[in-house]
Amino acid sequence: MSKGEAMTAEKSEVLQGTLDLMILKTLHALGPQHGFGIARRIEQISEQVLKLNEGTVYTSLLRLQQRGWIGFDWGVSENNRKAKFYSITKRGLKQLAIETSNWETISGVIGRVLRLESEESS
Amino acid sequence: MTSLILRFISRLRGLFGQAKANYEFASEVETHIELLTERLIRQGMSQKDAARAARRQFGNTALLEQRQRETRAFLWMTTVFQDVRYGLRMLARSPGITAIAIASLALGIGANTAIFTLAKAALFDALSVPHPDQLRLLAYTQDDRSAIRHDWGDFYTDKQGRTVVASFSYPAYQRLRDRDHSLGDLFAFVDVNQFEHLSATIDGHAATVTAELVSGNFFQAMNVGTVIGRPIEPEDDAVPGSGAVAVISDAFWQQRFARSPSVIGKTVDVNLIPITIVGVAPRDFSGASHVHTPQDLFLPLSMQPLIFPVKTGSLLSDADTWWLQIMGRLQPGISDEHARASLAVSLDQAVRSTITVPNDRSVPPLLLLHGARGWNYAAQELEHPMPLLLSLAGLVLLLACANVANLLLARSSFRNREISVRLALGASNGRVVRQMLTESLCLSALGGSAGLLLGYLGRNILPHLLSSSWGPATLTTRFDWRVFAFTFVISVLTGLGFGAGPAWQAARTSLNAGLKDGGTTMSRHRGGVAGKMLVVLQVSLCMLLLVCAGLFVRTLANLNALDPGFNKRGLLLFAIEPPVQRYPAPKNIEVLHRVEERLASLPEVESVTLSREALLAQSGSNSDFLPEGRPRVAGGNKHVAYNSVGQNFFITMGIPILYGRPFGLRDTATSPGVAVINRALAQKEFAGTNPIGASFQMKEGGEPIEIVGVCADAKYAWLRADDSPTFYVLYTQQKDASGSMTFEVRTKGNPRDFAGAIRGVVESVDKDLPLIDVRTQEEQIDATLAPERSFATVASAFGVLALVLASIGVYGVMAVGVSRRVNEIAVRMALGARADQVLRMVLGEAMALALAGVGTGLCAALLLTHLLNSLLFGLKPTDLLTLVTAGLLLSVVAILASWGPARRASRIQPVRALRHE
Repeated sequence: MSKGEAMTAEKSEVLQGTLDLMILKTLHALGPQHGFGIARRIEQISEQVLKLNEGTVYTSLLRLQQRGWIGFDWGVSENNRKAKFYSITKRGLKQLAIETSNWETISGVIGRVLRLESEESS
Repeated sequence: MTSLILRFISRLRGLFGQAKANYEFASEVETHIELLTERLIRQGMSQKDAARAARRQFGNTALLEQRQRETRAFLWMTTVFQDVRYGLRMLARSPGITAIAIASLALGIGANTAIFTLAKAALFDALSVPHPDQLRLLAYTQDDRSAIRHDWGDFYTDKQGRTVVASFSYPAYQRLRDRDHSLGDLFAFVDVNQFEHLSATIDGHAATVTAELVSGNFFQAMNVGTVIGRPIEPEDDAVPGSGAVAVISDAFWQQRFARSPSVIGKTVDVNLIPITIVGVAPRDFSGASHVHTPQDLFLPLSMQPLIFPVKTGSLLSDADTWWLQIMGRLQPGISDEHARASLAVSLDQAVRSTITVPNDRSVPPLLLLHGARGWNYAAQELEHPMPLLLSLAGLVLLLACANVANLLLARSSFRNREISVRLALGASNGRVVRQMLTESLCLSALGGSAGLLLGYLGRNILPHLLSSSWGPATLTTRFDWRVFAFTFVISVLTGLGFGAGPAWQAARTSLNAGLKDGGTTMSRHRGGVAGKMLVVLQVSLCMLLLVCAGLFVRTLANLNALDPGFNKRGLLLFAIEPPVQRYPAPKNIEVLHRVEERLASLPEVESVTLSREALLAQSGSNSDFLPEGRPRVAGGNKHVAYNSVGQNFFITMGIPILYGRPFGLRDTATSPGVAVINRALAQKEFAGTNPIGASFQMKEGGEPIEIVGVCADAKYAWLRADDSPTFYVLYTQQKDASGSMTFEVRTKGNPRDFAGAIRGVVESVDKDLPLIDVRTQEEQIDATLAPERSFATVASAFGVLALVLASIGVYGVMAVGVSRRVNEIAVRMALGARADQVLRMVLGEAMALALAGVGTGLCAALLLTHLLNSLLFGLKPTDLLTLVTAGLLLSVVAILASWGPARRASRIQPVRALRHE
């Protein structure tokens, strides 16, 4: 799991981490996408549950680029404008595998903890 | 790890490609929002609603861009650049305040830099040789039970009150060098100037030179070569009397030979002995004795018997006279204590094998001193004024800080609005604080740079104040990295110091208060109080400095006004030291007498005399005083001061003879010994009886000397000392005395104009006799007052500086106060207050501030000035005149400084204020 930037660390570390993970997975599943496409995919998958400022996607994208997990090529968007099409790199794939297993471990643990809580309170 | 590096590189790139990246990101966002809008329109929204919804869904673009920028490059770097640029812009916007702030800081920091440069020279500068920190100087503590009876040369008293001596005999040195290698190859040196003045005749012209005698391995062990020629080598030092060679210093090469390479092989006469110059030492090399005053010549120790012969013969074979300094380099892997212990054993052996140690005496314990600063006697003297000078400079810096803090506070209260806007736009508190601190640091960096320049320009003022007007400076200051580091550190500290207040205030700015127009807010009120407190602090610091300045100035004035008991005006002084080689005693008396007679025959000369010791030159001779026909008291009557003088001494110096007679023509070299004693000695030794006709001896079994007269008391060695019991004898009757004598010439007109004529007279007697230390008696006295004069000058300069800074502070806080209170004052005037009442009100407030400051300063002064007690003369540290004058001066300056704002207040039109509201 990646660590969020110090700036907003307290506020949304988990969210940011998960957002990074979601973007990586999206790029892995759908191939090269521009920011708008990624935002749509997340919207679609989350079935409107996850409310998010779509702008934050770009912060995530920049962070992932800096880590070398994604790259981009220039392409043309649906409205005929020059746009960055992001794609996952080899290192990104490796990272995705790590993060996925991390996430499963943690969500499993948290799930168990929460069940434990509810058993005690009942 | 790799990802870390990648991130680093991409951020570094981001730092430079900011503009392009910003543009790309903006267009990416634009595209996104367009696509989103189109999608919403397709879902059935109107164009307008869709655009708005799209923006809402996307989020705050400005904030995002900012984040993006921060993520892209090093956050702090970009924002620091931004802050600095913005800070400089803000500073440029109020050029008046900025200029005053920078000037205050420059003066404060410059003063500290100049003083630190001197303190560094006195306390830290090392010999310029490779690895000076390895050098160790051998020394020991001397007491009554020491086996070493006759140590010769400089010594000092350490903090435990022990007498520390670093003099060794040549035989002891030889044994130590042969036996002990815990300090590598031990080398020896001795500064000849502490024993006598050497004269050198170069191209037919005689002058005094300074010289260090060094052992043959000296240059090798010091790891110092020569610029041209060769250093002194072990072969030069092999046989006493051989090795008539010299290495000259770079400064001497420059002065006397204009850096001519043909100097190698040239022969100069040193004390009439021809010496061949074989090399020139590197530029900063000053020998091993002193860090700052380079020797002119380095000669092999083997030349001692010829260059400066002593009565006992060659010092090289003399085991009883301890006169030589020994150094070595601490070898790697050997601890100080190990080397010391090993050398202590060797010293014990060396002492016992060269001299007999009586049962009741012991070999003194060996000390290993750090040798990096040479046998630094002169600098140890200079250490004493340093803490005081540094504290004074520190006070000035504190004052400058308070001043700048005050200016910034005044400004920042006007900047409340700006800060509130920044906070409202999403700047964090920390960001605002950092911005304020960055501005302060910009200011202190500018002030520090200017201060460094001032310090550089002023670096020689203090050494100049501290050295005599005729001789070379005792201290040359080097402007090196330590000075830069010091200035940098104090600049940063002052920046943080004066920036803390405004930054704290900025951080506490409440968002609402600042945005409300006009109206008094809590933070403004607090700012006013802080400003006033700072002014009180400024005034009290200023008071403290003024009191110090007053005390020192009055001390100097008291000392200058002090009657030394002789007429110090119109006297020219110079010394002559007839070389023993040409004038062995008593032939030296003849040549001195010849010079005396020829000088007396000059028409411009009123009278001329000479004396062993120049008056008020901080040195004196002592002797036993054993009156005849009295029982000897063991240990009694020791150390009576005496001076051996010329026949016309009392007339020339203007010391009245109270009864009896002065020396006369009938007192010659062959007539019975005579003396004149001063009143103090007459009172001490002959209370109630007539001393005229009584006799005494100067040592047990010596010739009887008859007292022929009693003269008035006169100062002898020190101006501050009480009139000590003293007797005067005739130099012509001192048959075995040698060494230099000082001539005192009373001239018609300015004595300074007369130096040329005197040189001619002396050269007509012997062209190889150089004049030593030509100066007037008044210059001589001034030189002894160097510490007092430097304190008085520095403290006065700082006092004036403090006064200027404090008046700026008072003016600033009053001006800000008045402009804040325009409404209030206008209302008062509308209600019938007259202009003069308003004027008085404002002046009264200024006065209250000033008095509060004066009061605090006075308390501080009363607490602190007793520390200066030992430095003062003729007044107490609580000198009423000084305290009152300082207080009055400050009050007057405070009123003058607040006059402008008060006038402005008294001219406020009530109508204007109502309109303002």
